[in-house]
Amino acid sequence: MSRAAAFYRPNRPLLVYAVLYLAFLYAPVALLPVFSFNDSIYAAFPLQGFTTQWYADMFADEAMHGALWNSVKVGAVAAVFATILGVFGAKAITRFRIRGVKPVLGVIMLPLVIPPVIMGVALLVLLSQSGVQLSLITVTIGHILICVPFSIVTLMASFEGFDKSMEEAAADLGDNSWWAFWRVTFPMVFPGILASLLLCFTISFDEFIMAFFLAGTEQTLPIFIYGQLRFPQRLPGVLALGAMILTATFVIVFLAQWLRGRSPGVAQSGSE
Amino acid sequence: MKIRDQVKAFKDGELSRRDMLAGLAAVGVGVATVPLTGRGARAAAGDATYFTWGGYDIPDLFQPYVEKHGAPPSFATFGGSEEALTKMRAGFVVDVAHPCNQAIPRWVSTGLFQPADPAKLSNWSDVIPSLYQLEGNVVDGKPYMVPMDWGQTSITYRTDMVDLGGEPESWGILWDEALKGRIGVIASAGDAWWCGAIYAGVPFEEISTDESFEKVAAVMREQRPLVRTYTDDMTTLQQALASGELMAAMTWNETATVLKSEGVPVKFAEPKEGALTWVCGAIIHKDAPNVDLAHEIIDSLISVPSGEFMIGEYGYGHSNIKAFDSFTSEQLADLGLSKNPDDVLSAGKFQIPQTQEFETRMNQEFENIKAGF
Amino acid sequence: MADSASLSGPAPAASASRSAGLARTFRRSETLRGYALLSPTLLVMALAMAAPTAMTVALSFFIQTGFEIEATFSLQNYQKVFTNPIFEALFYRTLWISGTCALATVLIAYPMAYYVAFHVHRRKLVWVILMTLPFWTSYLLRVFAWKVVLGYNGAINSGLMSLGLISEPLEFLLYSPEAVIITLAHAWAAFAILPIYVSLEKIDKSLLEAAADLGDGPMARFFRVTLPLSMPGVVAALFLIFIPTFGDFVTPALVGGPDGLMLANIVQKLFGKLNDWPLGSALSISMMAVVTCLCLAILWLSRKAKERLI
Repeated sequence: MSRAAAFYRPNRPLLVYAVLYLAFLYAPVALLPVFSFNDSIYAAFPLQGFTTQWYADMFADEAMHGALWNSVKVGAVAAVFATILGVFGAKAITRFRIRGVKPVLGVIMLPLVIPPVIMGVALLVLLSQSGVQLSLITVTIGHILICVPFSIVTLMASFEGFDKSMEEAAADLGDNSWWAFWRVTFPMVFPGILASLLLCFTISFDEFIMAFFLAGTEQTLPIFIYGQLRFPQRLPGVLALGAMILTATFVIVFLAQWLRGRSPGVAQSGSE
Repeated sequence: MKIRDQVKAFKDGELSRRDMLAGLAAVGVGVATVPLTGRGARAAAGDATYFTWGGYDIPDLFQPYVEKHGAPPSFATFGGSEEALTKMRAGFVVDVAHPCNQAIPRWVSTGLFQPADPAKLSNWSDVIPSLYQLEGNVVDGKPYMVPMDWGQTSITYRTDMVDLGGEPESWGILWDEALKGRIGVIASAGDAWWCGAIYAGVPFEEISTDESFEKVAAVMREQRPLVRTYTDDMTTLQQALASGELMAAMTWNETATVLKSEGVPVKFAEPKEGALTWVCGAIIHKDAPNVDLAHEIIDSLISVPSGEFMIGEYGYGHSNIKAFDSFTSEQLADLGLSKNPDDVLSAGKFQIPQTQEFETRMNQEFENIKAGF
Repeated sequence: MADSASLSGPAPAASASRSAGLARTFRRSETLRGYALLSPTLLVMALAMAAPTAMTVALSFFIQTGFEIEATFSLQNYQKVFTNPIFEALFYRTLWISGTCALATVLIAYPMAYYVAFHVHRRKLVWVILMTLPFWTSYLLRVFAWKVVLGYNGAINSGLMSLGLISEPLEFLLYSPEAVIITLAHAWAAFAILPIYVSLEKIDKSLLEAAADLGDGPMARFFRVTLPLSMPGVVAALFLIFIPTFGDFVTPALVGGPDGLMLANIVQKLFGKLNDWPLGSALSISMMAVVTCLCLAILWLSRKAKERLI
């Protein structure tokens, strides 16, 4: 590693770029906490004074809590299932030379190109023909479908060029396929799996149109928020919620890192 | 390393997708020709469901219902009534939905709805008749849409930015060159086209003639270069009026009410040509699993407590005449309403329901104009 | 059966010789083992996508009259799609917006992904998550925030005016195609960073050392080793951004203004207010075909580029 370290010494211009880039990512969302304390129902400058009323509104709004919790559930389940399907797909495609796999791959990638409104309407027609009751489960299924292509493409970048011989060596040592995958492949593709989980959760957490068509009476957060557009009075509560989500996720991430303290970042395991 | 393999796989997969589609088309003919409303995808079991905008899904509008059943009905919410209709056409079954007057003929002609039975509505006798006596709405004395909330579409303008120069308020504000790039317009032709007709001086009775159509289209084209944004959500317009991004916008009543309460200097214009009046209400789904509960939902919506909430909190008019009694004349005048709602209704211009052909033609033309053609 | 064999590894010793023979065939055939591994994903996707796809294709050949859809075969919808000048103009605009957005997003994300992959040694996980966190706040809220930044009286205009760089607020910043590009480039940032990071992360560092031993400088190492090896991630990111943004309708509706409408807005309206599902389907299928062709072009270009680099 010492020789390699020569390539990876701190690069100041790149560090500056990274900081600027993070600023670009965070500049708009950093306004959310600012406006969440602003004594006006409008997100506009100049600020009108300090209030915690929107947080009180948010904590009192049970419909919002329900919607948030529903979105977290749907997002987590959809991310896990889509990533599992993605692992099977990406592993099969990159590990084996499969004859005639290309048209098959097209089917898997379809949800990426079909407009979500059509996916939503068509799936709803299908579900209503078969008399299925709409619920969070139907929303989750819809989200798994749109997440799988994202998962596969991300994971393919991770599995691609993966050294088969390592897995075969593990198999020779008596491990079965599952063990070989778990002990050899998994740690190496962990960054890809993590990326896939994050992307899928992000997609599902923000997806509106499919969720709208596939939801029954339980709404997800985007459905709830778009529903507020007619009456802006409740929107500052949503703003407070956005600020809370941002803060809470920050705290969780840093707490987790602090607790893990001495151990190096997990994502580094790939270069071990 | 093996980039070529991955790349090739992806490429070929994309290529042969059309072959896949060809094979599937046969199946597709089957699926697509099945009547769109088959057995229906129910929203929830047991409880009655009300399909409405976010903001109407609150217990305050269902006090009699809550008193009787202990809890409000289940809600399914939408952000726009058109996507709600699309969802129901695709098979989503609810008990009660929430359309507005200009869409009534279209909603009814989908065959997805049934008329309500006034005998099952204890508050029916207090409902202002002019709100439900719309063309095509009442069949054999039974209304499809039971009116609930109504209001005006007019102009909200920043009094500190728009100088009328002593002229009376007019729809001309939204066609004023001086406000170029600072005007907001409702994206739905159901509002905008009719306001254009008022500005163009086209009587509503004649709105469907070719001559009137061209006249309205011409004023909408004239307005387009002045428009900063077309949007369907009032929040966007309110935010933009509050920040000064927009100086004037086509809005409903409550926009001005809320802006004023936040201290933004605005006024809801009373245009000399007259404002556009709209009314929304409740309609029962043809396959509603709980028809009796559906009537109870509607009866709650048109009850006096709901009316007081609608008027006091949202600044809308309500269909129950008695709901106006608990407000002073000044309060009502501030909202652009009146002790005698028929005054407002008769002073405004009521949309006349049109045929499906006209609606489609109007929507298409307005979309073209908005897109710049 | 195929499935269980691939999962449980070597066939049990007690099994009959014939099944052992089958198992051997199975283990030798890459295609069979590949399909076995692919089968769960494939089955789920094929089952779920068959009906929507088939319905879209079938609808695109039907005719809408009023609220009825006539099931007669007709090419009329496709004729409308390809002769309507509005669709053509919107097509070029959509292409310009999503193409620019995908390229810009990938270009500005690459150095960031590179930094995390090669210059962050501790707590990489934190960096990766840091780059996704902003996207867990509602998209609608982020759009509102962008309006505050880009608006007529927004942060950028106020800043530039107070610096004396402009005398009039820049109107094109909001409610314009440019506003759509900026908002989308921000919204899809994570979809560029993560795939690129993943492909950079797994580059074998010894290759870089070997290149250094052969006397390559930092630039040469980047162009001869790092960039080609990270191309799967770059191409993946381009697709993951270009394809969905080509079909985006929310952003143009919220910040696009009258001149920022995109094709998918029309599809959306055809399934709603304009009430012509068949035309909407035909338009979507045409869009899908075009996107596919464009993706092939990207792939072809990236392959050419890679061949030249190596």
